[in-house]
Amino acid sequence: MKWLDGLTEGAVRGVAQRTSRRGFLGKLAGAIAGGAAAIPLLPVARGDGSNPYPEEEGDPNSCDYWRYCAIDGFLCGCCGGSANSCPPGTEMSPITWIGTCENPVDGKSYIMSYNDCCGKSSCGNCLCQRNEGDRPVYQPRLSNDLNWCLGTESQAYHCSTAIVIGTALDQ
Amino acid sequence: MKKLLAMLLVICSTASAEIQPEPIGRIQTLPDPYPPHWIVAVDVAFFHMNDGKLIVLDADSDDPAGRFKGMMNGTFIPVMYMAETRPEIYVLESFRARGHRGERTDVMTIYDKTTLAPIDEVVIPAKRVSAMPTEYYLQLVDDEKLALIYNFTPATTVSVVDLEKREFLGEVPIPGCSLIYPLAGRAFASLCGDGKLLTIQLDRNGKLVSSERTEAFFDADNDPLMEKPAIIDGIAYFPTFLGNVFPVDLSGSAPVIGESWSLVEGVEGGWRPGGIVLAQGDASGRLYVLMHPDGHDGTHKDPGSEVWVFDPQTKQRVDRIELALPAITMGLTNDDDPLLVTTNINLEVDVYNANSGEHLRTIGNFGQETVFLFHSDR
Repeated sequence: MKWLDGLTEGAVRGVAQRTSRRGFLGKLAGAIAGGAAAIPLLPVARGDGSNPYPEEEGDPNSCDYWRYCAIDGFLCGCCGGSANSCPPGTEMSPITWIGTCENPVDGKSYIMSYNDCCGKSSCGNCLCQRNEGDRPVYQPRLSNDLNWCLGTESQAYHCSTAIVIGTALDQ
Repeated sequence: MKKLLAMLLVICSTASAEIQPEPIGRIQTLPDPYPPHWIVAVDVAFFHMNDGKLIVLDADSDDPAGRFKGMMNGTFIPVMYMAETRPEIYVLESFRARGHRGERTDVMTIYDKTTLAPIDEVVIPAKRVSAMPTEYYLQLVDDEKLALIYNFTPATTVSVVDLEKREFLGEVPIPGCSLIYPLAGRAFASLCGDGKLLTIQLDRNGKLVSSERTEAFFDADNDPLMEKPAIIDGIAYFPTFLGNVFPVDLSGSAPVIGESWSLVEGVEGGWRPGGIVLAQGDASGRLYVLMHPDGHDGTHKDPGSEVWVFDPQTKQRVDRIELALPAITMGLTNDDDPLLVTTNINLEVDVYNANSGEHLRTIGNFGQETVFLFHSDR
């Protein structure tokens, strides 16, 4: 799922200082800050010792977390799920759009699968939009403008995950 | 005696001022056509998608109560089209039997433009695209006899509806391509991921007659076309990510691709086009593009702080409107003294005189949540 152009922290950073703190942006900034404060800071070591997962840095419930370079939607980690799991009672879309994001810890580019969690209405918490590598809907696999709740029982969109599915080839 | 007369006068005048009983059941209607500065604000209700609204507003009015003229519903990211040849508004909606779950039914709801009442519906395949809205998900062709609806499952097809009989005719495949750009007659074009345009010709029953592809004419990887052009006098102007524009003549039965030109040549500051609706045309043929500075990979949907106005004939910029607040989307009325309307980053509607660039008013708190598109009468 990919939506709300320009309404997210990343997208409006450049204009925020010229704008009022009232209304949506104020609420949004508050929500993001609140979410960040409630979550333990990383780095977090993922995976087990036999198959070490690269370390990650940053707050996985913040829009500027490295995995979210092409995200568009509500972060599932702020909705009862996590960066790579869906909230209770939802269904993960089997197909989605992908992005390529660089992990600042190991400098490697990873392919991210932004599977949507579906079957409930908009989570409403931690709305993020970043569009690095995003393309218009005529290149669907790279487009976060689409509601990817497809192939699921319901197309109601709830939130978006950011799942590592592999490393991209070195450029 | 004088006192008595005075008392009688008071009684009489009181009696004449008494509120008379009123009829029950009066319901307002709207004129057809709408006044030129009325707009329909499409609120997709991003946070409550089953409760989208299409709100008719008088953008000329400073009266917060009186400028709200009426409303239609549009469930789950509605897409609307206001007909030119009949007083009807078509709205694509998706319903699930139990609200957020249950069997899905997609319909094209037909609203009476003057009563804002739903007067009919056509059930269409439950495949219509669900995405950030654009007007190019629903278009009318063949003198508004046929409606075309873009489907994404993720297989891409187009549903064809007969608007005179109000019935679904069939579905046409557009493999590898997306969106609907109207051509003359029973035809449309779609944009393809390989940088080509697909042209589809239909028969009167909505069946496929022919399907042809142009040569690739844009670089979908390095300078992609924005899929949301402004159509001016039959020519679609597609901005690109890097600030070029491709004119494509849609006035015939097949698209004719013109020479691209730059919107930003010789301008400092890294300006690029961006937004939800980022290109519009006015009645005098001018092209308006929502622009933001310091562009780079990923800014193509950032809010725009200025609207640049071009004469597409001379390919010169003729005006530069600095917005009161950066905008995520925009619209234009279709008259000779047009209003430019935007949704600003506080999600209010800003109204400008498009000719002078003057900011006239901000319209907020009218029940809106996320107005992403504007329509006005044709």
